Amino acid sequence: MKREHQEAAGGGDRRGGEGNWYVAAEQEKGKALMGTDDGVDELLAALGYKVRSSDMADVAQKLEQLEMAMGSSAAANDDALLAHLAFDTVHYNPSDLSNWVDNILSELNAPPPLPQPPPPPPPDDPLSLQFDLPPAVTEQYTIGTVDLPDGSPCKPADVDELQPEASTASSGWLISQSGHQPEVAMSLRDRKRLKVCSSPPSSTITADAATAAAAQQVVIVDSQEAGIRLVHALMACAEAVQKENLKAAGAIVKQISVLAASQGGAMRKVAGYFAEALARRIYRPQPPRGMGCSSTVESAALDDMLHHHFYESCPYLKFAHFTANQAILEAFAGFRRVHVVDFGMRQGLQWPALLQALALRQGGPPSFRLTGIGPPQPDNSDALQEVGWKLAQLAKTIRVDFRYRGFVAASLADLDPYMLLGPEADGGGVEDDEPEVVAVNSILELHRLLARPGALEKVLGTIRAVRPVIVTVVEQEANHNGRAFLDRFTEALHYYSTMFDSLEGGASPPAAVEVGGHDQAMAEIYLGRQIYNVVACEGAERTERHETLPQWRARMSRAGFDSVPIGSNAFKQASMLLALFSGGEGYRVEENDGCLTLGWHTRPLIATSAWRAAGDPLSTSASCRTASS
Amino acid sequence: MLPEEEGRRFSINDNADLLGEILGRLDGRSLATAACVCRLWSAVGRREGVWESVCHRHARPCGDECGVATRAVVAALGGYRRLYRLCIGPALDRLADGGRVPLSLSLSLFSIDCYERLGVGAAAGAAAGGRQQQTPASLLFLCKPVDVS
Repeated sequence: MKREHQEAAGGGDRRGGEGNWYVAAEQEKGKALMGTDDGVDELLAALGYKVRSSDMADVAQKLEQLEMAMGSSAAANDDALLAHLAFDTVHYNPSDLSNWVDNILSELNAPPPLPQPPPPPPPDDPLSLQFDLPPAVTEQYTIGTVDLPDGSPCKPADVDELQPEASTASSGWLISQSGHQPEVAMSLRDRKRLKVCSSPPSSTITADAATAAAAQQVVIVDSQEAGIRLVHALMACAEAVQKENLKAAGAIVKQISVLAASQGGAMRKVAGYFAEALARRIYRPQPPRGMGCSSTVESAALDDMLHHHFYESCPYLKFAHFTANQAILEAFAGFRRVHVVDFGMRQGLQWPALLQALALRQGGPPSFRLTGIGPPQPDNSDALQEVGWKLAQLAKTIRVDFRYRGFVAASLADLDPYMLLGPEADGGGVEDDEPEVVAVNSILELHRLLARPGALEKVLGTIRAVRPVIVTVVEQEANHNGRAFLDRFTEALHYYSTMFDSLEGGASPPAAVEVGGHDQAMAEIYLGRQIYNVVACEGAERTERHETLPQWRARMSRAGFDSVPIGSNAFKQASMLLALFSGGEGYRVEENDGCLTLGWHTRPLIATSAWRAAGDPLSTSASCRTASS
Repeated sequence: MLPEEEGRRFSINDNADLLGEILGRLDGRSLATAACVCRLWSAVGRREGVWESVCHRHARPCGDECGVATRAVVAALGGYRRLYRLCIGPALDRLADGGRVPLSLSLSLFSIDCYERLGVGAAAGAAAGGRQQQTPASLLFLCKPVDVS
């Protein structure tokens, strides 16, 4: 406590010209250590200020906040605020320091929120989000109540258009419109990074604490404030875009870049990607193909490489592979001939672990057949065949009978069941003795099909026709396919911010191998491309149409699939895997009605689920065997 | 050992198998250190059997993974010593004596690493037309330096 007094006093010294009496009060406060009798500090009383000892800490903090705000405005070569404070504001009873400081602070920011804030979202609303600052990391951004001092400064007329809509309740935010003083607001805009406050203000801001919002502190100092402004600017821009108000949106986008530069770490990167995507959307409504919107042929190889780095740098894909493999392994129990269809073969990193597990399973390894599906490659190099060959080599060393087949398909909807079932000529008469069971595996592939109407239904029909004993589906746990742009934008902002936070949280120390550091940057680019797709693309090019687990459940049951619960083995294995990741304290594996999700702190980010065709005698009997064995 | 005492005392170096049994009860780091003592210890300390004991001691098997099949698979993937060095050892460090690592998980990670190395060696020879070489990095998440302060 004493430290902050001294710093406040020191800060006061640095700007001696502004409000001398205020500086003097701070210096005196620095010297006043303890309170005295009848509650009023006697040292200050000697100067003519009445401050209760019990309020001292509070007043000191508020004075510091005031100094921050004034300090930032001074740096911004704007005298409007100071002039306002000096001339226009009516000061009542400045000797009562604590009330006076409250008044000034509230005038600096906005009048308090509307008396009827929107009701907080219900606690089980999947979209209501809570952000706590993890104790270890100070750079994380927070979303909380944001008062609206800054409308669009260049267009006061448009500020009215930026009225928040009731739909903000869906995002769990509380944004309240205020009586605006645009000229004051301009002066508060941060051009530079604010001085870091020595004592951390109460930093836990929960988005659904609406009642706390009304009595909430009004000023949040240092980079958190800039962070909130940044988030708010992003939302304002998205709203403008949704209303087709491209001029306003363009003005805000420029500010976003400036604000983003004042942030650090995850928030800056996320804001950068979103700002770029917004800018593209504003200035070039029809982006040419190949700008990263769709995974065109040219970018397929780049996609694979980025995907690989994403695999290395964070556990989401590993989690997906391990849980899907465990589900497939359990479904294959007891069968001598097994066939796996992989909808997104890429580098085939999922299958070595399954091959090894099959080699060591009780009763010995089965005959394993793998069908890999991949996009067309630019240079006609047969990546699928290479991957198959590598897997065959591995299978040979561990003595698993392995056959492989690759299919090049620009879209999964181009597949037909007979392709997947494969030529029955293989094996000849063995067919009758040993039924071949099929598993279909789709890691982050199904959501692309939602871009074209009817494609998903066709693919699900194809899957059913193959009569798989298990279908493993892994998808991002977010709704980026809403009808309204603003909803999608908000969801995506929360989702990717959490993703980037987890990348930062799990990041290796600076002394790590270059490849390790490289991975994180590549993973961020990988996510950045997704952000770009969600924000800037529309129609058939917007392929990153993520949906939440309940939505996928509905789709799968409509298509005639039953849920297969993923067992506790997978859960334990996933938990152990995450414990091995540095920074793994933030990751959470949760079980959600038979499906497993992996998330960062309270937010699930990826979900694994398993399915089988409803009412299919083969698959039903297979799962009964699994259950009983 | 002084020659006059040979008949009376037993030297640990007398019987290599016994030495192996003893060394197999060490943890990984100590065993690796022990292998630096002398040529005999180095030879014994490299035996797969010794490292197999170490692995099974520190990794928790779920199922019958101590069987012959496991040995064959691990040998094919690169051996127990490599398994410990790449997977079990770093995992134990990461878990910071929170318990044992499940052997199945270690084997899975090991197989992924082996698979990645397959690609590197082979592609270098086959000169796969311009495709990017990926250095095997799937286990880097385990091997990143841990703050030991």
